[in-house]
Amino acid sequence: MNKKVLLTGSLLSLPVLVFLGISFRFDPRTIDSPLIGKTAPGFALEDLDGNRIDLAALRGKPVLLNFWATWCQPCIVEHPVLQAAARRYADRVHFLGVIYQDENDAILRFLRQRGSWGPSLVDPDVKVGIAYGVYGAPETFFIDSSGIVAEKVTGPLSPGQLDRILGGLL
Amino acid sequence: MSCRFAVALALLLLLSLVVPTSGQTPSGAPQAIVSPESVVGPPQGRALTGEELDRRTEALASIMRCPVCQALSVADSPTTSALAMREEARDLLAAGYTEAQVLQYFETSYGEFILLAPKKKGFNWLVWLAPLLVLLVGGGLVVKRMKGERPSSPSEDDSEAVDDELAEYAEQVRREVSG
Amino acid sequence: MTSQVGQALVLLSLLVCAVGVPVGFGAGYQRSERGLAWSRWLAILFAGLMTAATVVMEWALLRHDFSVSYVANVGSKATPLHITIVSLWSSLEGSILFWGMVLGLFTAAVAILQRRGHEDYLAYTLGTLFAIGLFFSFLIAGPADPFLPTPAPVPTDGAGPNPLLQNHLLMIIHPPMLYLGYVGMSVPFAMAVAALLRGQLGPTWLRPLRNWLLVPTSFLTLGIMLGGWWSYEVLGWGGYWAWDPVENASFLPWLTGIAALHSAVVQQRRGTLKAWTTILILVTFLLTILGTFLTRSGVVNSVHSFTQSPIGPLFLGFLGVCSIAVVLLLALRIDALVSEPSEDAVVSREGMFLLNNLLLVTLMFTVLVGTIFPIIAEAVRGVKVSVGEPYFNRMAVPIFLGLLMLMGIGPALPWGRADSRTVWRAVATPLPAAVVALGIAWVLGARSGYLLFTAGLTGYALWVTAAQALLPARSRVRKGEALPRAVGEALLRSPRRLGAYLVHFGLIVTFAAVAVSSTFQHSVEATLVTGQSMSIDDYVLVLEDVRAVRKPHRVARQATIGIERRGKEVGRLQPALNHYPTMREPIGTPAVRTSLTHDLYLTVQNVGEDGTVGLRAIVTPAVLWIWVGVLIMVGGTVVCLVEPRRRRLPAPTPEVQVA
Repeated sequence: MNKKVLLTGSLLSLPVLVFLGISFRFDPRTIDSPLIGKTAPGFALEDLDGNRIDLAALRGKPVLLNFWATWCQPCIVEHPVLQAAARRYADRVHFLGVIYQDENDAILRFLRQRGSWGPSLVDPDVKVGIAYGVYGAPETFFIDSSGIVAEKVTGPLSPGQLDRILGGLL
Repeated sequence: MSCRFAVALALLLLLSLVVPTSGQTPSGAPQAIVSPESVVGPPQGRALTGEELDRRTEALASIMRCPVCQALSVADSPTTSALAMREEARDLLAAGYTEAQVLQYFETSYGEFILLAPKKKGFNWLVWLAPLLVLLVGGGLVVKRMKGERPSSPSEDDSEAVDDELAEYAEQVRREVSG
Repeated sequence: MTSQVGQALVLLSLLVCAVGVPVGFGAGYQRSERGLAWSRWLAILFAGLMTAATVVMEWALLRHDFSVSYVANVGSKATPLHITIVSLWSSLEGSILFWGMVLGLFTAAVAILQRRGHEDYLAYTLGTLFAIGLFFSFLIAGPADPFLPTPAPVPTDGAGPNPLLQNHLLMIIHPPMLYLGYVGMSVPFAMAVAALLRGQLGPTWLRPLRNWLLVPTSFLTLGIMLGGWWSYEVLGWGGYWAWDPVENASFLPWLTGIAALHSAVVQQRRGTLKAWTTILILVTFLLTILGTFLTRSGVVNSVHSFTQSPIGPLFLGFLGVCSIAVVLLLALRIDALVSEPSEDAVVSREGMFLLNNLLLVTLMFTVLVGTIFPIIAEAVRGVKVSVGEPYFNRMAVPIFLGLLMLMGIGPALPWGRADSRTVWRAVATPLPAAVVALGIAWVLGARSGYLLFTAGLTGYALWVTAAQALLPARSRVRKGEALPRAVGEALLRSPRRLGAYLVHFGLIVTFAAVAVSSTFQHSVEATLVTGQSMSIDDYVLVLEDVRAVRKPHRVARQATIGIERRGKEVGRLQPALNHYPTMREPIGTPAVRTSLTHDLYLTVQNVGEDGTVGLRAIVTPAVLWIWVGVLIMVGGTVVCLVEPRRRRLPAPTPEVQVA
């Protein structure tokens, strides 16, 4: 038995195997937002009606910031969930939607059919999307009343999840 | 890179002290949608324009990962997201932010994931140094192997072993003689 | 019905492998002639069953038999015939079945071709191949069963294969070439295992071993090149290599395979490096399994990743078992492979071979670490990091240059120990070629030190390669033979030498083309309406027309671009943007005009509602020569495989038994 070979071989192969094994626990497609715990990047956007909304002016209440689009199937699934929540938390939480890489016409048509749950902000050149590090839609950021990002959810929100997170912020 | 980075930062700080007006940009104007300044501080470079702006944008885009692609850089990817990021990088450079600041801006929102080359710090040194270690250890082994053995025997003329078949035959004869 | 027939064939092949493992190893251990004969029949049976199963699957695909789940997943009646045929490897289950068939055919080929003179090793080799076959048969029979019956009700039509597969003909041949490379590495692995178990690796086994290593390495070369070509022609970003994890995975075994081929040369010439060659071959196989794991498990983000599937853990398990087996086998048996003592100087040809191996292994390690570092970083730091092109280029380019330098200096040096004057003369002779190449590069506009250095190395290596390739013919001419006869004889007597230098030549061409194309690529973007034009270099591109073309599973918005060069019309290109109903981002189909010196590459970035077309034009010099270089390499490999014509020599005596 050549001990040197045994040792070298094990030292080289075992770590690789162990790390590959651990990797099954990660989902290569989701990434934690580095913004959590930091001040939410400020922005001032106009909604589809031309009203200007400045994030800084909304301090004092938590903000739900949802990036969505009509081409995104999960967003459509999520829509009624947000509508219900917006009614429930009406005067306690600001609900803001940011249009993510979509045509305004498509959004207007969609909202006329299904109704809205908050202002739909137009994000020219995806600048706000980039400031929040958005990968795709839907992504939802929860900002607490002092303007700190408390949580980020990738993919459609469930009612329970929404209540849990907003409950923590109120 | 971190060393060069620090030097560049120091130089730029100096520059901004000497030319305080260069820090003033339209980022505070009422049209601003986002405020990069709140994330990475006031611009510390000089506003770029024209060909230089194009070149530096391209260079930056090629070291940032397109977030929705697989392994492509922002420069290489034709997706909407990549195009938007390239535009944002260009806007920031044009507003006088330094390359380091622009990278910092993207890193703050997307995380280290956005950098196609891992930052040279902390644990990341492993990926930069491990290959060198292999090269050094391997090189040591090669030298040791070539030096440690018996001294010279007469060298063979290469033309002797020009034919594959002959070489094999010669090898076999040599083995039989020595074995 | 089709399902049951297919499943029965796969189960039978599982049985054959399960029997083959003990029969093969038993026959090897007892040196039993009868056991060996049995193993050989089982190998042929294994190949037959796997081929039959694949034929059944093809049959089901062609008949659109949606009662077979795989057909229901990847087939559709709207898919064109040639795509239906190749959809065998368009998805996970089918590709594993194809893998099984290739493994079967390789096993049978070994059993048939290595019939005579290798009884000592053959049984162990077949036993090892059966063990690998056992794993794959098990996968096909259970976890990745393509023959699973579709649950009722059977659909009347399917979704069709992955859209990317339908995009280009190159995708039809790229995967099978890679599979032939990947699967083929099982053979040298099994042969090396046999050598370890036997405790000897002599020239009579080394020769077939080298050939069996050469074949899959060559397929890998071709597969990697076709992948790059496909990505260039289809993905629309103007490049051919993105250091994508799966590209890297196919690169890893290629590097160690090449290293093993070189150390085998030293072993053949000098009788040294036996253990090292063996280790490299074993590692090469492990890397093919690792590569498959990375592709199939979805643990890394990649263009090629199949969706996360349950067979990921199984592949990891297989990789673990193989790694442990390899390490144990090496620890137990490696001392049996005694090398002759080395008597060579560092500055000798053997020294250069060692440096070549050092660089190749370092490069392999770099690519490996870079590829799996995101996983390691996430496990240790909990943070996702990327390791991409800037990292790999920074690390790999110096190594590539080192290899290019070795390709020049190595073959120039004499074997063994030579006095320093001989060495200097050998090294200095090709220097004028380097200077000439440097001058040409300067005239062509190269100014960066890196590029000029590369040019010099290229010239040097080309000179040495040509000189070495022609050496046998020249020495024949010196002995008075006529030139044509001398060349012909040299070719017939030492095809491996000529082939090897042909491979070097191809690689140098590819190296130089990659260096040139990556440095001088440039692009222009513009938004055009019909009738408008843009220009790049001496081309003027006119948007003549843009229209929507309906194709199966997609709508292509096709732009027609008229191309003028120096005021003369030279043709038309039709880049398009494909919209698939199932995907959000459209996929562009670039259009390429290739010439000897450069490529004009057009992609549609977007098509506006109002008919405006965002067009990107890229001019990349020398791209064609990348593919040409690789084809030369493959041609060289084929020459290497030619059996040298026998001179009348006394028959080789059997190897001395050292066991």
